[in-house]
Order: sequence, then structure tokens, then C-alpha cells
Amino acid sequence: MLEQYQKKNRFLQKVNPSLKLAGVLMIIAVMVPVFDPWTPLFLFGLTVLLIIGLGGVSIRFLGLLLLPFLVFAFSFLWIQVVFPDERGETILFSIGSMPVALENVYTGISLGMRALVFASWSLLFVLTTDPTRFMLSLIQQCKLPPRFGYGMMAAYRFLPMFREELQQIRTAHRIRGLGEKRGLKQFKRYFIPLMAGAIRKAERTAIAMESKGFDGRRSRPFYQRIHWNRYDACFIGLFLTLLVVVYIVRAQWLVS
Amino acid sequence: MKQKRTMNLREIVVMAFISAVFGVLYLIWIFLGQMVTGVLGPVGGGLMAGFWIMAPIVCALIIQKPGAALFAELIAAGTEVMVGSVNAGSVLILGVTQGLGAEIIFAMFRYRSFKMPVLMLAGMAGTFASFVTQFAMYGYSQYASIVVWLMLGTMLLSGILLAGWASHYLTFALARTGVLHNFAIGKSEYQRNKQEPAS
Repeated sequence: MLEQYQKKNRFLQKVNPSLKLAGVLMIIAVMVPVFDPWTPLFLFGLTVLLIIGLGGVSIRFLGLLLLPFLVFAFSFLWIQVVFPDERGETILFSIGSMPVALENVYTGISLGMRALVFASWSLLFVLTTDPTRFMLSLIQQCKLPPRFGYGMMAAYRFLPMFREELQQIRTAHRIRGLGEKRGLKQFKRYFIPLMAGAIRKAERTAIAMESKGFDGRRSRPFYQRIHWNRYDACFIGLFLTLLVVVYIVRAQWLVS
Repeated sequence: MKQKRTMNLREIVVMAFISAVFGVLYLIWIFLGQMVTGVLGPVGGGLMAGFWIMAPIVCALIIQKPGAALFAELIAAGTEVMVGSVNAGSVLILGVTQGLGAEIIFAMFRYRSFKMPVLMLAGMAGTFASFVTQFAMYGYSQYASIVVWLMLGTMLLSGILLAGWASHYLTFALARTGVLHNFAIGKSEYQRNKQEPAS
């Protein structure tokens, strides 16, 4: 499901992954001093439009991914209403003997929406970025040492095998009559053999890499080169426009 | 015994594999954590925080070289992003700060001591760094100070228990299987067994 979107031939998929990541981090930095509910709501709406329009992601899939986040976002609201830094003036109604103030509800919604904005931008990155391109871009543009980059890629490729192995361990335990209970005590029973297997595989992989002549030098050829292109320029333009639009709308209408 | 202080390819790849497994576990844990946070609020959610510091502590304990903790957490965060985290941005920022938090403690002991109290201290530093980051990122300054202090308390506690004690326990259980004989921790185990032969 994820892969199908990551490999689509749309605008966001062609932008350099490092640049997209920088955008996500920028958004987080920009949102930190914002405490009104409307700005994050507006930004969230625009982001969802971006993901659907320029990333070609279906709205149903996006909603499905954001759903668990609503619970998380809701926690910001209720904790803000029950334990605010300073209780607001405008009392809406009371639950028992506890007054619920409009200002606190606003701040709570704002913090919850902020979490949703972070989530939507993260999805914008994750749904439109092919993991291999991401790693290559980190090595080629962000000067990540190739040892780490290729080590990570190797580990990433082994992940499906770990799932298989977990299934094997579970079956082996069942054959020996250990039962299928799942709990924290069971965690160790699966974790240790899985990790031991992982470490053995890792050592073999490292030896294989070295025997093929991988020495971690930066002056190496690449099968796939990630270049800066006009999509990156468009993305920068789009991103700056987004920030300016949000800033103007916020200054004009949202915060009076 | 004199060792080189930089990590070689074997150690990096092993670290990447361990951290990648942790990265997947983190993803499952995030899901659990959000449910707990949604119901109990950030104070209860703080109890979950220590788990995220396990990758750097386990890797630092195994490899015992500078940079292991920080890079382990970065690799775990990177794996989360590649597998498809809903929270890629915050995960990466938290990865840097949590890794740095744990790394600073190991650096303070000059990468020589990896005993239980040091690990617990590193776990606390990691959760503390994670607390400061979340404080800024999710606007915790808007809550009553009692809630924020309680949250810090539960997070530090979780850092001691999950990140410190549980990592120590799991790593030594792993060392007993024999797969770590090639690493710093396996070698120190071997030296100790030679001095006091098992009865």
C-alpha cells in the first residue's frame, strides 16, 4: 500500500527527499510559537490538499492513517481543559464542580491541531518518498558517511526476513508446548532469539560487504544519482508561498 | 587492552540491524503509547518514554565506543521513517536529542564504565532530553505546572526502569547466547569468566 504511493510519478515524489525533510523540520519550527486554534487548522487543511493534489494519495487512505492520531490529539484537549496553566475567563459550562473555559478549549484544540499538522507533514514526506532514494539522497546531498547509509539500507532490506523469523520462533515454541500467551514475560522469549539471529546476519552481511570491496569511501560510483532539478525549485517556491499565505491569513483574519 | 576508538564496518552494520529491529518495535510502541496517552494523558504516557532510549543504551553497551548511542538512535529513527511512521518529523528530532542525551552521559564516563548505574543515568538523560524536546514541540508550557512536573517524574522513572534496567537485562541475556563474543561486551564477559571460573 505504502510502496504504491511512494513509487507514483507525481510532483511530490520527484522532489529531493532531503529537501522535503527540511520542509517538515521547518514546519515544526514555525509551529512552535503558535497557540491559537485557527492557524494550525488552516495549515492542516492546506497540507491535506497538497498531499492529495500533488502526491496522488487517496483521501480514504490518508484518513485511515490519521485516525489513531485523533485520539492522541484529543488528549491535548482534555488535559488542557482539566489542568490548564491558567484558567480562562469565559466559562462555557461545568462538569461537576469543574468549570470549562472557552480559552482553555481553544488552547487545547490548538495543541491537538499542532500534533495533527506535524503528522500530516510527516505523512507528506513518508507517503511520497521511496526509502532507497531517501538514503541515497542523505549520502549524496547531506554527506552521510556511506558506511552508515549502506548499513542502514542493508538492515532495512532484512526487515521482512525478521518477520518470517519471528513466525518461525513462535511455531518452534508452540511445537515444544510453550503455549501462545502474549505478555511482557513472553517478550524476552521472542526478543533474544530474534536479536541473536539479527546479529549473526549482520556480521555475515558486513563480511560480505567488505569482501565485495566496500570500504566506505566517499568517492564511489552510484547506480542511481539524485540530482537537484526544477521540481526542487518548484517545491521551494511552493513552500515559501505556503508560509507567506498562512502568515498573511493569520495576521488578517485569524488572530484579532 | 588497547582498542581503536572508531567504529568499524562490522560494528556499524550490527548496530544498524539492532537499531532497525528497535525501530520497528518503536513503531508498535508509538501506537500503544498514543492509546495510553489518549486515555491517561501525558502523565501516564510518560511511563512509556523509557522504551525509546533502549536502542542507544543496548548498542552503547555492546560496542562501547564513542558515538554508538547517538548513531543507534538515529538509525532507529531513520528506520521508523523508512517503514512509514506517521510522525516522521518529530521522530527524527527526538531521535537526535534522545541519542545526544544518552551519549553525553557515556562521554562523561569517558566510555570506560558501562555499569548499571551509568546505564540508568544515561536512560534518565535520554528521557530528560526527550521531555525538553516535547515540551517545546507540543507546547507543554500551556499546562498546569503540577502536570508538567509529574510528567517529568514518570518519564525519568521510566528512563531508569525501561531504558536502564531492562536494556542491561536484555543485553546480558543476549551476551549469554554467545553472539556478542566479537564485541567489547563479549570480551569483557570472557575476561571476567576467566578470572573467576564458574563453579
